[in-house]
Order: sequence, then structure tokens, then C-alpha cells
Amino acid sequence: MAEPTADLLFEIGVEEIPAPAVLPALAQLERLLRDGLAEARLTCGEICTYGTPRRLAVVVSDVALRQEDLAEEVKGPPAAAAFDADGNPTRAAEGFAAGRGLQAADLEVRETDRGPYVFAKVTAAGRPAIEVIGSILERAVGSLTFPKTMRWGSLDFRFARPIRWLLALLGPDVVPMEVAGLHSDRVTWGHRFLSDGPVAISEPSEYLAKLEEAYVIADHQRRMSLIEQRAGEAAREAGGRARLDPDLVEEVNFMVEYPTALVGRFDSRYLQLPADVIVTVMSGHQRYFAVENPDGSLLPLFVAIRNGDERGLDTVRKGNERVIEPRLADAEFYLVEDMRTRLPDRLDSLQRVTYIEGLGSLYDKTERLVTIVHWLCSYVQQVEEADESHAARAARLSKCDLNTNMIGDTKLAKLQGRVGAEYARRSGEPEEVALAIAEQYRPTSAADAPPITTPGRIVSLADKIDHLAACFRIGLRPTGSADPHALRRAAQGIVRTILDARWRVQLPEFIVLALRNLPAVAAPKAITEEEAAAQIHEFLLARLEAELETRGVSYDLTRAVLSAAVPDLLDAYDRALALRDVRNSDAEAFERVIMAAGRTANICRGPKTELGLNLDLEALADEYEIALYVAYVAARAGLEVALAGDDPDYQAAWAALQQMCATIDTFFEKVMVMAEDDAVRRNRLALLANIDDLFLRLLDVQQIVIEGEA
Amino acid sequence: MTLQDIFATLDRFWAEQGCLLAEAYEIEVGAGTMAPDTFLRSLGPEPWNVAYVQPCRRPADSRYGENPNRLGRYFQYQVIMKPSPQEFQDLAVASIEKLGIDPLQHDIRFVEDDWESPTLGASGVGWEMWLDGMEICQYTYFQQVGGIQCRPVAVELTYGPERLAMYLQGVEDYRELQWSDKVSYGELRFEEERQYSHYNLEIADIEMLAGMFEMCEAEAMRVNELGFPLPAYDYVLKCSHLFNLLDARGAISVSERTGMIERVRNLASAVARTHVARREELGFPLMGDEARTDEG
Repeated sequence: MAEPTADLLFEIGVEEIPAPAVLPALAQLERLLRDGLAEARLTCGEICTYGTPRRLAVVVSDVALRQEDLAEEVKGPPAAAAFDADGNPTRAAEGFAAGRGLQAADLEVRETDRGPYVFAKVTAAGRPAIEVIGSILERAVGSLTFPKTMRWGSLDFRFARPIRWLLALLGPDVVPMEVAGLHSDRVTWGHRFLSDGPVAISEPSEYLAKLEEAYVIADHQRRMSLIEQRAGEAAREAGGRARLDPDLVEEVNFMVEYPTALVGRFDSRYLQLPADVIVTVMSGHQRYFAVENPDGSLLPLFVAIRNGDERGLDTVRKGNERVIEPRLADAEFYLVEDMRTRLPDRLDSLQRVTYIEGLGSLYDKTERLVTIVHWLCSYVQQVEEADESHAARAARLSKCDLNTNMIGDTKLAKLQGRVGAEYARRSGEPEEVALAIAEQYRPTSAADAPPITTPGRIVSLADKIDHLAACFRIGLRPTGSADPHALRRAAQGIVRTILDARWRVQLPEFIVLALRNLPAVAAPKAITEEEAAAQIHEFLLARLEAELETRGVSYDLTRAVLSAAVPDLLDAYDRALALRDVRNSDAEAFERVIMAAGRTANICRGPKTELGLNLDLEALADEYEIALYVAYVAARAGLEVALAGDDPDYQAAWAALQQMCATIDTFFEKVMVMAEDDAVRRNRLALLANIDDLFLRLLDVQQIVIEGEA
Repeated sequence: MTLQDIFATLDRFWAEQGCLLAEAYEIEVGAGTMAPDTFLRSLGPEPWNVAYVQPCRRPADSRYGENPNRLGRYFQYQVIMKPSPQEFQDLAVASIEKLGIDPLQHDIRFVEDDWESPTLGASGVGWEMWLDGMEICQYTYFQQVGGIQCRPVAVELTYGPERLAMYLQGVEDYRELQWSDKVSYGELRFEEERQYSHYNLEIADIEMLAGMFEMCEAEAMRVNELGFPLPAYDYVLKCSHLFNLLDARGAISVSERTGMIERVRNLASAVARTHVARREELGFPLMGDEARTDEG
């Protein structure tokens, strides 16, 4: 029989919470409630969350109105102590039973590992949900984590922003609870201005509709599509297309409760500014969407999303136009000032700009980048002569935009590189050089693509490896989640760029070059070159691991691939993906090979270092021994062919190894490896060691975890 | 609405909310937050509700009076309430309505903007208050001041009166602002901006300023150690202003900059500690037992 249920509505009313904090908080809220209800033995159905700048809300459907009863077995004294010789309960048994609210007669005797014991079956009757849920909600609010929290008033309680009301309803009833000095009620608040006074909710199902009447679209999915739709329409009516950058849409979505789009206009003379600058001026501070022509060029228009309805829309438009004007005028001023000096003529002034305390100026850094660029260009096969001169030129000019007025404006600082590229163009530099300057900082995030031009890749790699080398060398290794110098991003950039370009770069060489290239270091926390090299190598491999994880390579396989030799990143990456596919296509076959190779590794690895790989062919006597040797030679030949050349075929290499598996199994079945005769034993171990080495060309089988194995 | 009407209207409004109407501090400050009525009074457990107009100096923003939006000396209207009341955000909006702005005809929003002052060892969590996309106020819950955690928390509302007035009067240049019906902002202050810009950007004697910085730092430390945080704080403010002047003259290198900011911060923190200790010695005189509308 279905237990009676009701929907649960919980809303935390806050002063405007930072836009990026809303979605993560909702995800946590959902999990906390799901876990909290389950732990409290309250069944429930679907959970929906809703977020606006002023509220975090969750609706749990079909929450049981009463907890499930809890049936528990409690272990008591040993049977021998609980009953006397006649089978009558002792005082120990009676005491134990009474303590659980039972009679001695209710106890049961059951066999355990340690002999027979008495057990009491205890049933805790479920309590009404309405009495239990309050504390679940209180705990959930207290457990929510945010990137930054605050205190307010006289409270010690911390939250992202001050909490102003709590709405908690189970069906038609208020769930009593208290957080931060506030008591729950059935009241919410609509739009700060368009709605008049508190809004009472009689039951959860009417939450969204009641709020919409009060000018709040609480469902953030729906609000987002409204923003996209309305911004799109507004731009179309004005003769253009809104550039709906998804990050900006999401941010705007959590800045408004009732979105209305408007189109504003700015003086078309500002279109002479670099397009990136215009877009950043509009999106960065004002959160406006740019409007473009079909060819992607900008129109002197913007779309703003107002938090409210159509009332006074013209006033709001004029106000927004007034705000953007001086910001564009500032940018125009910067451009005019900056263009008084050609980009290359700014190089000397970088001598006065410190890169990182103790590591010289940006000018020094530029010099280092040029050195690394030339090294990379001679090292990487795919680079042509023209690429090298463009990359070197770009490296030399790469930091020249950092002391321009434009980049000096903190709101525009993130355009570093892109402004440099534009200034390079306007200073008559070749397009390839400009592009490489623009690409040097890419990828700027996990969502951003790595550079695609060869000079851009070269400069980007040089910039990032120099940054890693410099920071690690003076002891600025990231600890925990703190990474003020963005070293993880730099390392990830290196990994992604190399993989994307499919270049073979030997990491140790690359790292050491960058370290040797640094000036003499005398920082208090500095470490030796060798230590730094090891740390950077490990750090880069950790980023490769993360990259492999996103490609669906399981952790054990990643470990196995990286524990084997890693000549370069691309090799490890390709190998991991190939073996992932092998494993996915036939897991059982894969595991059989791993088992055979695993036995080989287990027995030979210990003595291997001592005995070496020297095999005495004359001494091979046993037929299975000889068969294994023959299989080994064939597998080795197959592997060498598969791995030869610039484009190794790891799947074929695996197939070659797989072919000797049956022979390995038979060998272990028929042959006693640890023979009495010393020479025979040594020779067998050497044979196995050679086989193990073949597998190590692909992976370390001992790292593979096979399900069902301990 | 003239600029002086705005000041008068805000004064009346905040007085009705129980704020003390104070006067500006007479030593150069970069922001209303630096005046002792905010910096020192927001420390410690005593309740404190105050409103005042503070002239602020930012030498680096000097533009010879020619930039329509930027001034080397301008005003802030500053409100502090400690502990922060539950309904403060509504009060902030209500104060804007008093200036004749109908929220239904405009877009008023609170946009995340946390605040940090490295020179004061202070930080807070808060927002810019937007009127149709324009920042008109800063709204901040202080979390730490002078390196000391704020308990209870003071909330600060800082208006940019020139901006508000330009919006309300519909003018594009500060010079056209009506201070009163008879006198414009330009008539009153343009010449001052011009002279000070020349001074701040070209004339100020760098060596003398650097020497004064050292002297003021030493004096702040000496006086604070003698147990007189209030006069000591005056010299902290002087250090801060001298630093700003040197900065405007382009006389501070990147590496010096961090060091000097740290020196001012250390002074401010030392004075903050002495001040709280002194208030405690006095038995926190403002902790009256009158009923107050606290949170929690």
C-alpha cells in the first residue's frame, strides 16, 4: 500500500547572491536533501531546484509523511551468559532486554563467528516527517559551501550573502526550523519593486506560478531561454544579431528575476576600437551583449537585460547608453595614447616592469622566450623556416602590450595578447606574428581551445614552460587548491597544445632547457634545478592524467601507461587511448593478457635487476620453454614493426603481445620456473624478464586493476 | 535636485533611521571609509550609526578639470550602521526613492562587488548598486578592518553624489552640475581641480613628500606606542595621502609599491588594535542598554 506523501518546498531568501555561486549551491542543496531524507528514512521522488539572485529553492516531490520504521538487531551477551543450565534467562539477559524495552523471552539466540549470542530485535517507530525535516533543512543550509562566505549583523553564522527569509512547506504545512535567527514560514517575496509585499504560498505546487504573478521567473532554465529569446528578438528588430556568449547568458540569468531586453546604441566612431575591446567593455562590466552583422562585424548597438518589465524602458535604455559612452571613451583614449608608440618600440620599457620578484624584468623574460622558441623550432619536425622567424618575432613582442594604457585598465587586462596582436597589426607586423601574439595565452580555460597556428603554438609553449620553470624554481609550487600564479592552467595548456599539435616533445629535455635558461636564482624558497625538473615533470604528467580522464581512460590504465616508459606526452596519450579502446572492445580478452603478463611480472621483477636480461639460448631445453622463446621472438618482431616510424600503431603492438598469451599460460602450467638447478632457474627468469620488458613498452601490467580481484 | 538638496535629503532620511549626522574629517582621505568615523568606529562591539559627507582626494585621478567624469577631489556620502540591520537593503533603496527615483521606472540592481583595501587591512563583501546600469552606491558588509575581524558586522553604504546628481539633473559634465540653484560645480571647483592637478601631477616635490612619508610613519608609530591611537591615526592618514601623491607623480616603482602599501597597512592595523584596547579600557562607552534593533 502506498504511504501518504506530500511535496516539500524549501526556499532560502538572500540578498543578491553572486551569479556564479547559484548553480553550484543548487546542486549541493539537491544532494544534501536527497541524502538527508534517505538517512532519515523518508522516501521521496524527483527533486527540482530553482535559483534567482535572491533565492535558492528546491522542490522535492512525494516525500513520505512518516519515516519508515527502523528494525534493528542489537547484539547482547553470549548465550552461555544469558541463559543458565536449565535454559532460564540470567540477570544479564533480563538486563539487556529491559534496556531495549523488551522481555527476556523476546531475545533470540543466533550463531556468530564467536559462538552463540543473544540478539534483541528493536523497532523504532517512524516519526512524522514534519517533525524530522526541519533539522534536515537546517543541516543542509549549514553544510552548503561557497567560494566565499560572510558574516552579518551580530551573528556568527556564515553564508554567501545574508539570509533574509526561509520558506519551508511540506504539503500545506510549514516545516518548523530556524537558521541564522530566522524562523521558517510560508511566505516568499516577489520582485523587489514590481511585487507588493510578501507572497503567501499555500502549498508547494503553486510556488512557481505565485512567484511569476509576483514578477519572478524562479525556474532558471526557463528564465535563461527567455533571455536568449528576448535578446535575440531585440537585436533582430534593430537589424542585427545578438552575440549570445553562453557564459555571459548564464551570468546575466543569475542577475535578474524578470528579464526584459532592450537595445541601446553607442556612437559609431567607437567601432574603430579593436572589436575585442568593444565587446569586453560591454560584457565585462555592464554585462551587455554585442550585436553583429551577418559577417560578424560589430554594429554600434548592444542588448541589455533589465531586471523588470517594460515600464520606463526608455529611461532605462538612456541610462545604459550614458554609462557605456564614457567607458568606450576611455578605451578610445587608451588607443590614441598607446598608438603614439609603435608596439616594437615598447620593448625597452619592459626592462622597468618586474615579471616575478627575483626573476628579472619582462624584458628578460622576453629574451628567454626567444631562446626557447628557437630551440623548439629546431626540435619539432613540423616547424618550417617562416614559422620560426614569425614565432621569434612574436615572442619578442609578446609582452609589449602589458604596459599599454589599454591593458593597464583592470577591466581590460584580460585582453592581454589580443590587444598586443591588434597593436602589432596596426604597427605593420605580419598577420602571422599578430596571431601568435594573440594566441600566446591560450587556452585561457578548460573551455578555451589551444592555439592553432604553428608560431602561436611555439610562443604559447615557450611562455608556459618558462612560467612553470621560473615559479617552481623559486619555490612557488601550488599547494592545495591555491594556485595564485595559475601554474595548473599553464601546465594544462602545455599538455593540450602538444597533443593538439601532435608534436613529439621530450619533456625532460624541454623542462631542463627552460630551467637552464633562467637567471641565477636567489629566492629564499628556491629549490635546485634537479628538484624543479622532477617536480615540473610530475606536474605535467598529472595534467596529462586529468586530460586522459576526460577522454574516458580509467585511472588504473592511466597509471599503467605512465608507469611504463614515457618518451613523450603524445606517445603516452596515444597509447592510453589505444589501450582504452582495446579494453573496451573486449574486456575479457584484455584481462586474460593482463593475467598472463601479470604472472610473468610477479615472478621476474624481483630478481630482474640482479639477473638482467641475458638469456643463454643454448641452455633452453624444455619444450615449453623453447615454445615460449619462439612466441617471444615473434611477439617482439610484431611489436617492433607496429611501433616503428612516426605513427606507431599501439593496437597492433598489443595484438602482437596478445598472441603469446596462451603460450605463457601453458609455460606456467607445465614448467617449474624456480628450478633446483641454478643456471636453469636463472635462464627461465631471464626469459620472463625479456617478456616483461616487451609489455613495459606499452604498459605496466601490475597497475591494472581487474574487477573481482582483491 | 541640486547637489546640496541631495545631501540634505540623505541627511534627513538617515537621521530618521537613527543615524548620527557627523561632519567630514579634516585630514585628506582617499575614501569616506578612511575617516575615523568609519575606520575606527566600525571596530569593536559598540553600536554605531552615522552618516556624513566626506571630501575625498585621489591625486592620480586629477585631469586638470577637463574630464567630464573624473576629479582629483570629489565627495562621498557615507553611511555606517553597526550591527548591520536586517532591513538595510530596503533602506538603501528607500533612500534612493527619496531622491525622486521611482524604482518602477528604472532598473535598480545589486551587482556583486566585494571590497578590499590593502592599505587599511580591510575587506568586505558587497555590491555595487546600479541605477540603469550606472554604479551609484557601494554597499558593503565589513568583515575585517585593520586586520581585526568585525564583530558585530558594520554595513557601509557609500554614495557617489556627483554621479547621482549628474543623472538626476541630466547633465554630461560635472562642471554643469548645479550645486545650489545659483552656483554650479564648475564655478565652485574647476579652478581648484586645475591647480591641484598641476600640483599633483607635476609640481609636488617628490623628495619632500618621500621625507614626509618617513616622518609621518615614525610619528604614527611613536604616538600609537604611547597609547594615543587617535592622533596616531592622523599620521596614518597622512602617510596614505603622501603615498597617493607620490604615486600620482609616478615616483613609486612596482616593487616599492607593495612595500609602501604594506607599511601603511601595518600602521593602520597597529592603530586599530590600540584603539580597540582603549575603548575596552573605557568600558565600551557606547554599549548603552537602550533597546536596539539588532539582528540575532
